[in-house]
Amino acid sequence: MTPARDPRGRKRTRGSLGERAVLLALAAAAIISILITVGIVVVLVSEGATFFTDVPIGEFFTGTEWFPVEGKYGVLPLLNASIVIALIAALVAVPLGLGSAIYLSEYAPERLRRVVKPVLEVLAGMPTIVLGFFALDAVTPALQKIIPGLGLYNALAAGIVVGLLITPLISSLSEDSMRAVPNAMREGAFGLGATRRVVSLRVVVPAALSGIVASIVLAISRAIGETMAVTLAAGTVPNLSWNPLEGMQTITAYIVQVSKGEATRGSLQYESIFAVGLLLFVVTLAINIVAVRIVRRYRTVYQ
Amino acid sequence: MSTAENSTPTPAAPAATVRPLAKKRARPSEQAFKWLVVILTGITLAMLAWLITSVVLKGAGSLSWDFLTGKPSANPAKAGFNSALRGSIVLMIITIAVAWPIGVAAALYLEKFATQSAALAERRLATKLEATTGGAMRAWLHTRLWWLRVRPKVVHLVDVNISNLAAVPSIIYGLLGLAIFVGIMGIQKSLLAGGLTLAVLILPIIIIASREALRAVPVSIEQGAMALGATRWQAVRRQVFPAALPGILTGTILAVSRAIGETAPLIVVGGIVFGTAVPSLNPLDAGNEALFAMPLQIYFWTDQPQASFQAIAAAGIIVLLATLLVMNLVAIILRNRYSKRW
Repeated sequence: MTPARDPRGRKRTRGSLGERAVLLALAAAAIISILITVGIVVVLVSEGATFFTDVPIGEFFTGTEWFPVEGKYGVLPLLNASIVIALIAALVAVPLGLGSAIYLSEYAPERLRRVVKPVLEVLAGMPTIVLGFFALDAVTPALQKIIPGLGLYNALAAGIVVGLLITPLISSLSEDSMRAVPNAMREGAFGLGATRRVVSLRVVVPAALSGIVASIVLAISRAIGETMAVTLAAGTVPNLSWNPLEGMQTITAYIVQVSKGEATRGSLQYESIFAVGLLLFVVTLAINIVAVRIVRRYRTVYQ
Repeated sequence: MSTAENSTPTPAAPAATVRPLAKKRARPSEQAFKWLVVILTGITLAMLAWLITSVVLKGAGSLSWDFLTGKPSANPAKAGFNSALRGSIVLMIITIAVAWPIGVAAALYLEKFATQSAALAERRLATKLEATTGGAMRAWLHTRLWWLRVRPKVVHLVDVNISNLAAVPSIIYGLLGLAIFVGIMGIQKSLLAGGLTLAVLILPIIIIASREALRAVPVSIEQGAMALGATRWQAVRRQVFPAALPGILTGTILAVSRAIGETAPLIVVGGIVFGTAVPSLNPLDAGNEALFAMPLQIYFWTDQPQASFQAIAAAGIIVLLATLLVMNLVAIILRNRYSKRW
């Protein structure tokens, strides 16, 4: 290959042919990640579409009974359960996560912070099966002592452990954005006579609000997609109810229940897990997009 | 209440009237708020402590050498964890073997090649295009020019896509694996199908971590190598990549430790196996081995009504958590020992 001349007239050393092949391979690897997304969408939509030829979409979204054995495919009970449990989780995780974030960012001595933060993150890395076991084995029995007559499977215990799982997500991300608030702002407020509580609540939290809200939104999306803890703790009986003391089946728990048994490929049940999977994918994707929007729109950049 | 809001700026007072600073009152609301955040942090830590102690108290009694080496059994007193352990090891090998090369290659491309300015290459291609007359050659050059123009858009798409993938619920990856690997490719519901699914699951995490590690290496290293006559690929391969390797490995270990704890995608891909088989450790046989894994076995035991199964489930959890702990420690040591500050 003759060395080409660049516009400045110098001789360039060019990569050999092998080197170009390497580059092509690298680019191909990068493209694979797009193929994964395409794969997910194609699989969910195509299998879901065959499901919807048998079950009308209107019936799917408005039906209040999910009873596949009798051919009743109304998704509301499943969707409702996912939302109820995610809300309980948020009720648990928002105070715990924000409290920890404010403590770590504004109050804790640096040495303590360096120990506490990774310990909290252990919770985030905890396999969800462990949290499911914890819910069934420890949380529900403890709740049964407080609330007599509580069943073994209930949304409350599931919500609490999922809340525990997403607490570090909120505390970690919120703390990061609180620490990104420049010290000059704190010092300015202190100089005006503000106390530490006022500085935390009136200066730091508002300045870091976009990050805090985004962390909460992301945590809720994670809670909706959570599977094992809710399967074990909330049970496998579809139940359209807002009562957290009852057992209910979430979207994810239904997918697990069908997968556990041998649903034959091509059967309506097999296709139904893709249909509800598509719903789950769309819901979590929408929530994530909202989170990204929030950060982008309301982020204040400090020098 | 907030003093910051109530105080109005006072004009400079004459020196004589300056009052000595009053001693700060201990405000109850201040103390209360501080205790509130301390207690909220404490509750979170206490829940973690409760989780770990309840699992350890329940499972420690069932933990023994026989438990680690025993076959699965319908009798909880004799049931062992060996198949699950072996399954998880094979899954780990397959997952790393598939996800690591692809993930690192993608990160190298996105971080080191895709973002290079294409202005020079574009001009060079344009002059070459004027000089060539052959139809096929011209078409090829046109394609390359077109690629240079769309490349920034494609790279942006890949960027957005990877961060979205990292937030997709893991059970969705299970559905993908079930439809593609088991349904279309016809792989049995086996360790191989499970390993491939986990590889797809952690690929975005590996790409993100590797990109961060590559970004931490200063550009001057690469520029120095290129100034001495190395091509970009040579500079990246011999200078940047080795410098970033500890960071890449740390990210990989953390990603794999996530894969080891995943249950939902494995259930979707492979179902729950009741057999008493002991899978071979050879990853090449994985296509024929039933899908065993630590979290699957734990789920199966937890789901049994008898209390004696709960105890061995807890013992299994101890083994799983110990494995994760070791992997995370290795990752931390690797990071502290080999990471360089530039």
